[in-house]
Amino acid sequence: MASIINSISFKNFFNYYGDFEDNTYNLEEGINIIIADNGAGKSKFFNAFLWLFYDQILDSDTKQKINIKNAGVKIISDKAKNETAVGDYITCGVCVEYTSGTRYKYQIIKSFTATRLDENITDESSWQFVMNELEVNRTELVLHKYKPVYDENEKKQIIDKLIMPAFRQYSFLQGEEVDDIIDFSKKESIERAVENLTDIKKYEQVHKLLEEFKEKAFRDVQKQLKTNNAQNERFDNAVKEKEKIEQQLAQEKLKLEQYNETLVNAEAEKNKLDKRYANAEKRKELDDQLKPLRKKLRDKKDEFETFLDRINNRFFDGNFAWIALGFENEVNKFNELNDDFLDERYRRKTLKEVEKNPNDFFTVMPIGSPDAASIDKMIKQEHCYVCNREAKRGTPAHNYLIKMNERQKSEEVGEPFVKNDLKNFFGDLQINAQPFYTKSDSIKDSIIKTKEKEVELQDSIERLKKRIKSLEDDRNTIMIAGHDAEQSARDIINDYNGAVRRISDAENKINDIIVPKINKLKRDLKTINEEVKSLNKSNNIPDGYNDNYEVLSDLEEAAGKAKDKVFDGMINLLEEHANIHFKNLIKNNDLSGGILKFEKNLNGSINFNYLDSKGNSVYGSSEGFQRMKKFSVVMAIISANNAEYNYPLLADAPISAFGEGFTEGFFEAIGDVFPQSIVLVKELYKREDEMKINELGKRLLKDARVKTMYVNHVPENAEQIELITTQTKLK
Amino acid sequence: MTAQEFKITILLKRPRYAKSKIPVIEAFANKGQSKSEYSQFGPIYELYIYAFRLGLKKGLKLPLPPRNSTQDFIEIGKWKRDSSLVDFLLMIIFSKSEEIGFNWNDLEDMEEKELNVVVSNIVEFIESYANGGLQYLQEEWENDNLINSSYLFADLMNG
Repeated sequence: MASIINSISFKNFFNYYGDFEDNTYNLEEGINIIIADNGAGKSKFFNAFLWLFYDQILDSDTKQKINIKNAGVKIISDKAKNETAVGDYITCGVCVEYTSGTRYKYQIIKSFTATRLDENITDESSWQFVMNELEVNRTELVLHKYKPVYDENEKKQIIDKLIMPAFRQYSFLQGEEVDDIIDFSKKESIERAVENLTDIKKYEQVHKLLEEFKEKAFRDVQKQLKTNNAQNERFDNAVKEKEKIEQQLAQEKLKLEQYNETLVNAEAEKNKLDKRYANAEKRKELDDQLKPLRKKLRDKKDEFETFLDRINNRFFDGNFAWIALGFENEVNKFNELNDDFLDERYRRKTLKEVEKNPNDFFTVMPIGSPDAASIDKMIKQEHCYVCNREAKRGTPAHNYLIKMNERQKSEEVGEPFVKNDLKNFFGDLQINAQPFYTKSDSIKDSIIKTKEKEVELQDSIERLKKRIKSLEDDRNTIMIAGHDAEQSARDIINDYNGAVRRISDAENKINDIIVPKINKLKRDLKTINEEVKSLNKSNNIPDGYNDNYEVLSDLEEAAGKAKDKVFDGMINLLEEHANIHFKNLIKNNDLSGGILKFEKNLNGSINFNYLDSKGNSVYGSSEGFQRMKKFSVVMAIISANNAEYNYPLLADAPISAFGEGFTEGFFEAIGDVFPQSIVLVKELYKREDEMKINELGKRLLKDARVKTMYVNHVPENAEQIELITTQTKLK
Repeated sequence: MTAQEFKITILLKRPRYAKSKIPVIEAFANKGQSKSEYSQFGPIYELYIYAFRLGLKKGLKLPLPPRNSTQDFIEIGKWKRDSSLVDFLLMIIFSKSEEIGFNWNDLEDMEEKELNVVVSNIVEFIESYANGGLQYLQEEWENDNLINSSYLFADLMNG
């Protein structure tokens, strides 16, 4: 009877502003995907279940789980808070509907009411909170109307049935949680899994009982001996020797335990550092990406500032000449005035010359008159090319050419004929001011282009900011893992090497000294036992005592072996299942040939390694790969169980850590193991896309195993009090 | 007087502005001094030239008050050196010779004293329109009609 969540709804819960019906996700058996960018409601989803099962939420600021009673002001939608008048109240809650089997459907609602007392909405003391009674309703599937459940025990049972407490650890996968569920360096971790899957506890109890019975049987035999043959010195000595060996054995076992503890601690530290080392690497990679982007943003911002600052310069810079806008008429007027000025100037000059030399020949050269160089040439060649006839030296025609030539030169040299010669003043203005007045036509365009350039700069700043924000969010996700962000790589390496050395020391001590010694003591114990037995046969004690002791010894040994066999058998089964899942997970990746190997340590913990095709352990794999490994085991624990797994999976899939190849495998694998999966994922989100999902998202949308798909939206650049999450159902 | 000397006579002039316009000058020509809410010009002459253009295009001629109520600033020759901006301005000013009251050709026959009067009239012409433009800006500013944008002055030119 699998539990299937039919819907989850929120009311004024974080950014889920509004009533339950405005914020409902309808879900189905199979795979359900909810795509949300950072800050668009993923962790809120988890918080809803934390509230449901444990009355807690995860404080996103401190990364601590806090009781719902102390979290009130944080979890109510800011928009809802803002819209509540002083004296009014709002309700905040979560509602889950689920079906169990084919008969019943349940509805669980947890909520509280907050009354506003004061102005400051983010201040805890501005609100009075009242927890509402847990509401649990039930209906038969054929009916439509829910009936309330009143019995508190029954309410609890209904919540527990959604996901049994013992299995919640396998049903909730939020990033690092996978790592914490299965920490193979801890003996209890795998034992707990095996306990959940087998009846190994019973074997242990039987073994322990038989051990006690055996001890008792021996003491009985001893008692009989002493009463029957108190004087037998040889027997006494043998027993003493036996007790001495037993004492030594107990001591060595104690030592073994101590060294095992050292080993376990050192391995735990190494494993912790493994993860931290991988995080440090990943963080460094992100930092390497962030550094140049941040510099680029600074440069772009500077460029933008300078650009804005210099806009007004464009009025006066000859390259833009905006000041000249609208002065076309004035420029034309100037040119006209200049032409008139020159004409008038020549007229005045000519008049002056006539006044000065009234008899001198003068003429105003008509347009098209030959220039000085042509006249020079005509004089030299004694030919007038204007009227095309000879002008021999000495003739009036030749003299006329000479006179024309001199007249032109005298005008160029120019004797002053005005008090102030301003011809060049105006001429120079006309030439110098060209950069300004030649641009009049294009100034409007230039202003438009400048505005476009501003938008372009702003856009590229926005794009950079978004890219940086996204990388920073990724970086923050890594920090959330709870590891000290600022510990230097050198410290990590030193600690790591220290742990490795302690592991090696402890292993040497255990393997080379303690275990051989224990084995020797065990052999000694066996021989002395034989000795005691044979001494004892020569005494007259009832057979029953000896038989009893022998049978119990054999039984104890057999029970110990059976227990180990069950444990080993389960480990083998887990290994087999884990490898099947792992192969599925990585089948779209270019990794090949490797297998997951479980190896039992002397202390009973399980070494869990990835071996390549040649049987060598592979170390230092990416965090995503590590997580895939562990996730394979989580799924193995579920699938190795003979019974079906009856609970939904709720996963915040850190696909960026998995890589795209893993992602596809992930969705295939969970479909096989969990009857229902609700996967929250950021990496399928693509803001620029019309549907807001990327290519992989679109492929999954078409996949028949994916039953529903939602995309969450939050308004861009909204104020906190305006922030609301809305959702689109794509499937 | 040569062309060069005539030009220098003009370039050595220091136009004046009314003291009543100091607030508007401080509000719009204060780049780098303080974070103003408005788009800024650098040196005063930039705002002055802009105001002159505004006054001229809008026909806002407003003579300066008596000398005691005015203040001068750097000479025209130092406005945007190494640029032909001043040449362009002179071109615009000389196209208005009729309004200022002289004839180009007559200039060539004037005594130095007469020429100085013309130059004074030219400066007065610049000052009157710049004053008119500044007055306009001041009123718009006081009436809160100016939209704060980097293109405030570009957009105001089209209006």
